[in-house]
Parts: sequence; structure tokens; C-alpha cells
Amino acid sequence: MSQSLRPYLTAVRYSLEAALTLTNFSSQEVERHNRPEIEVPNTSAELLLQPMHIARSETEQVLIEPSVNSVRISLMVKQADEIEQILVHKFTIFLEQRAEAFHILRRVPIKGYSISFLITNKHTESMKTGKLVDFIIEFMEEVDKEISEMKLFLNARARFVANEYLGEFVY
Amino acid sequence: MSDWRRIDIDAFDPESGRLTKQDVQPPHASQITLQEITPKISQLRSLASSGDSKSAVALAVSDPPYSGDENTKAEYFKAVLETLTQVRQADIAGVVSGLTSEQQDTLVKYLYKGMSIPEGQKQGGILLAWFERVTQVAGVRPVSHFINDRNTV
Repeated sequence: MSQSLRPYLTAVRYSLEAALTLTNFSSQEVERHNRPEIEVPNTSAELLLQPMHIARSETEQVLIEPSVNSVRISLMVKQADEIEQILVHKFTIFLEQRAEAFHILRRVPIKGYSISFLITNKHTESMKTGKLVDFIIEFMEEVDKEISEMKLFLNARARFVANEYLGEFVY
Repeated sequence: MSDWRRIDIDAFDPESGRLTKQDVQPPHASQITLQEITPKISQLRSLASSGDSKSAVALAVSDPPYSGDENTKAEYFKAVLETLTQVRQADIAGVVSGLTSEQQDTLVKYLYKGMSIPEGQKQGGILLAWFERVTQVAGVRPVSHFINDRNTV
């Protein structure tokens, strides 16, 4: 693991550990509703806690928004050039279309971020909190690797195709 | 009054218990102004430039201007960020372990604030190094204090 990645992941891990203390909380607005308070327009300020920004650089950030019964985690994946932008977009869309399989994945990322997760008290009651944190951390590690691997593969393939096609015109 | 069924009657009840953002902010006896904080900023700068990083950081994170307006906080934050970035990587651990637990809490507030604005994001690596040292010394405590504290820096 590179030198600057480790403190970044440590910061995310500690922030998540602090944020993932959720409780069952019925809506104060609508009777017999129980909804993630971070996601709904809210008239009760005491239910939302301080949001945490963790930034490795301007292009690589995490935003953790805690509330009384839900936590929203948004990742900004590093996108150095246009190819990476396309790859990140395709990759996150692919995951978001299969959001049920991931339980905590949000179908739409919040504005400005590549991918968002929503953890509610239902998740922390049925799953181990430590494992949820591990999953997020592992995802952050893997996504960078995955994107750079795909980029290498794409470039190699493009070079091969160009060789094949343009080879026809060499006399 | 055609849509009287849609009137939110709870909003008119003074005891409805709904709190706005201003309500949850702790009350302050007096508001600190930019003029009052300027001597502290210049003291910070002189301490940081003289190389006394330990007392510079300790001064920066004690008694922060919670009651100031956005402008005051931004000015003070600039000085704090400068102080933090001037400390050598090797000295960070020593500086952090010399702070009291309240000062560590305040330091974490400044680290999160720094990472939320572009000026601090450019220095992301340094702020993360500080953050790592703080968590090594104090664990998850300052982070959970940060989440629940309504006093912002």
C-alpha cells in the first residue's frame, strides 16, 4: 500500500467507526414511518450530526454524513483523464444497477461524487458493523486498482486494434 | 383557505419541539470579532516562524473562536492551517501527544474543516498525517466528539 493511501484509509476507518452508532428512530413528521433521516428534507436539526470530509487531494475525497439512524458515505474516485472519467462512470453505473445485491449501495450518487452508500440502522442490526467498515475500506482500495487495470487493458487493446487496421495501409 | 387540510399545524405550536440549525447551536455570551482575534493570529505566525511548533500548535487549538462569524473563522483557520503545514512530519507525533484531550478534539475539528475546503484539500497529505497521529494517540474519541459537537470552527 502506498505511503499516502494508508493515512487516508485510516481516517476513513476511524470516521466510520464513530459514525456507525445508529439507533432505531421513528419519523417525527409522518406517523408510523421509519425513514433514514439523512435522506429526507428535515425540520429537526438535532437529528443530523456534523458531516465529515476526508480528502487525500482535490480529486480524491470521501464525505460521511451521519444522522441519528443512517449514515451516507459518498466517494469521489480519482479521475486523472477523460478515459478514467468514462471508466469510473461505467463502473459505478454497473454497480448501481445491481444495488440490491450490495444492500448498502445507493442507486444514485449525491451530486459531485462518483458513488454513494447508505447505511441505516437496519443494516447495522443485521450485519456486523466492523465488517461493514471493512467492506467500504476494501471497496476504496479495490476501485482504484480496478480502474487503473481497466485503463491499461483498454490502451493495450486500442494499440492492437490500431496496428491491425492501419497495418493494411502499409506498403 | 382552500387547502386548509394541508396547513402544518404543528409548526404553529411553540412546544412542538422542532429545532432549527440556530436552536441547536450552543449560546455564546459574546461574539468574537476579527479585531479581537488578530493579535492571536499574529502570535501564531511568529511562533510558527520561530520554529517552536509545539507551543504554536497548542496555542492554535486552545480557545478557538467558536462564537465568531464565518469571516473570522476563515481568517483564523488560515493561520491554523499555516501552522499545521509548517510542522515537520517527524515532529507531529511529539506535538500531538503533548496536547490535552480537549486540544486534541479541537485539532480534529480543524483537520476535518481543512479537508472540506479547497485550500486544505491541496494539503490533504499533511492533514491526513496529523489525523493519523491523533487517532494513534487518542483513538476514536476525538472523532466521535467532533460528530456530536455543535460548536463549529
